[in-house]
Amino acid sequence: MGNKFAIETIDLKKTYKGKSHPTLDGLSLRIPYGSLFGLLAPNGAGKTTAINIICGLRKYDSGKVFIEGHDLSDGMKAIKPLLGLVPQDIALFPTLTAYENLKIFGGLYGIEKPLLEKRIDQLLELFDLSASRHSYINRFSGGMKRRVNMIAGMLHAPRILILDEPTVGVDAQSRIMILEKLIEINRSGTTILFISHYLEEAEHICTEVAFMDNGSVICQGPPADLIDAYKPCDSMESIYLTLTGKWMRDTQ
Amino acid sequence: MDEGYPMKKFRYLIYKDYLLLKRDVAGLLLMFLMPVILVILMTLLQQSTFQAITDASVPLLLVNNDQGKLGGTIDKEIESSGIFRVDRQIKGKTPSLEELEKEVASSRYTLGIYIPENTTVDIQKNVARYVLSAFSGEEKLPALDRVELIIFVDPTTKASFYTAIMSTLKERTQKIEFAYILKEITRQVNDISPIPISTAGFSGEQVYIDIRDARLEGKNLVPTPVQHNVPAWSLFAVFFIVISLSGSIIRERQDGSFSRLLTMPCSYTEYLLSKAIVFTVVALIQFVLIFLIGVFIFPLFGLDSLKLGTSPPALIVLALSSAIAAIGYGIAIGNIANTYHQSSVFGAISIVIMAAIGGVWIPTFIMSEPMRKMGLFSPMHWGLSGFLDVFLQDAGIKAVLPESGIMLLFGLACFAIAVTFNYRRRLDV
Repeated sequence: MGNKFAIETIDLKKTYKGKSHPTLDGLSLRIPYGSLFGLLAPNGAGKTTAINIICGLRKYDSGKVFIEGHDLSDGMKAIKPLLGLVPQDIALFPTLTAYENLKIFGGLYGIEKPLLEKRIDQLLELFDLSASRHSYINRFSGGMKRRVNMIAGMLHAPRILILDEPTVGVDAQSRIMILEKLIEINRSGTTILFISHYLEEAEHICTEVAFMDNGSVICQGPPADLIDAYKPCDSMESIYLTLTGKWMRDTQ
Repeated sequence: MDEGYPMKKFRYLIYKDYLLLKRDVAGLLLMFLMPVILVILMTLLQQSTFQAITDASVPLLLVNNDQGKLGGTIDKEIESSGIFRVDRQIKGKTPSLEELEKEVASSRYTLGIYIPENTTVDIQKNVARYVLSAFSGEEKLPALDRVELIIFVDPTTKASFYTAIMSTLKERTQKIEFAYILKEITRQVNDISPIPISTAGFSGEQVYIDIRDARLEGKNLVPTPVQHNVPAWSLFAVFFIVISLSGSIIRERQDGSFSRLLTMPCSYTEYLLSKAIVFTVVALIQFVLIFLIGVFIFPLFGLDSLKLGTSPPALIVLALSSAIAAIGYGIAIGNIANTYHQSSVFGAISIVIMAAIGGVWIPTFIMSEPMRKMGLFSPMHWGLSGFLDVFLQDAGIKAVLPESGIMLLFGLACFAIAVTFNYRRRLDV
């Protein structure tokens, strides 16, 4: 079980201590190999908890998680090298330079020094950051930080790249660039799990999407198929609002 | 991935913590500049207070109206004691009893001594009456003239000081009186006795008082300000690492880099160990720096040079175990506190309390008994006690093992609490 998909969760449940409602209530998610998969959900739907569980940062109450066929309950040792996480927060050391950050993160994956330096050069070039390689992160613009944040998650050429809202708070130019690079990376064979509030983005770049609410998947499929299935909805946004409602979902 | 991967990976973690520390200028100033300033200032301050107490000469106004030997001897003894700065006149005139009282009452003098006229003569008369009465076989003692020596004391003088000075003064004057009376009895007895007696070889000091430093199992020697302050402020500095260390853990947790590290092939224990190693090196540098200041810089300020004892290995063991205790504590705070504000406030206050009860600011030997007992719970007290053993008693490794052991246990217990707390509550993994 679980070998057909890059990521598969089966009936995943998680309730935080002191909460009466489960955050994940039987989440079953199937992310095919090589897909650029969009996970779309309102605030508080449980997507961050789901990502944290997949990355080994949280434990779950019941259910199963498989990453390329490896059962998460057997430990993270075999799984960690397969995954690359680009968190929503800029998870970099602000007082270090872009190069120093990348050298440390790459080094922790055990990449040999010559190869690591080559990868850093390539990725900085790809994301148009070569000129700023020795600048401190705390002097970067928001868009530049986002791009370094992405590079840090893909230095070890992971087979699965998980991005949590990678385009939040960046200008249009940076956003377009990030999305273009994601398509390129996906075409090179990397499975991408893309979490976003920007539904247009997901419609534009994702090969498959899943809508999630109240801790479980409410529908899944390629964007075009979903638009067909949910007529008269003519966009991802209208499907999203139809399925999840229009009320505010602010959570703490 | 090669076989040396775990070591290489660990090297990158250490490289990260080294760079982060190097760029934290405020933290470095707190860890190095602050203790250097504190150790120099506090030692100078305590040294000058110590000197002020030991070198102090108490102002004393002496009015000697006796024309005889006794008054002269008292005057000479007080002058030669070195305790008093003796004046005998005010504006070129010998003061009266009332003027003497007024001078002391207005705090211009701490003490005033009034030796009335004919003191020597009156004592001679008293002795003569006594001798005659003794030789005539009378059982009833004769009536004696009252000979009064008046001592005025500044009422603002502290009770402890007053007691010390008065006992010294009484002791000296009584000694003189005794010697004089003995001599006078001998002289008068010889005038009427057919067999002359001599007390020339007799000394009033038949009981010798041997004053020694109190020791409990060889401990409790009193350190000099240098011997006390150098290890005390080194320990304070090492424990102040807690602010930087816990702050760095919380910052990394808040900015997400910590979570990113845990998604990489890096365990939480490795993450903490890397920090522990880097900060242990910092702590050892702090010790070396402050001890070198004690040895080489203190003499430039007129202070004694620190003598390091005879066992460098004992010093190394103490420094290392103190560092581990401090770092364990910092890691525990970094894990338990939710915000940087919480960790810095709690860290700073708890260190100041540990320092206060542990004898960093005020040596424990001048503390009250309850405070001394409280101090036994301070890791800084354990460290300080070990260092003082090495400095004052040339203790070796064996002698400092109890202090080192308890600090090591404290550090490891804190480390275990941090890891357990983190896994159970924060990461929930």
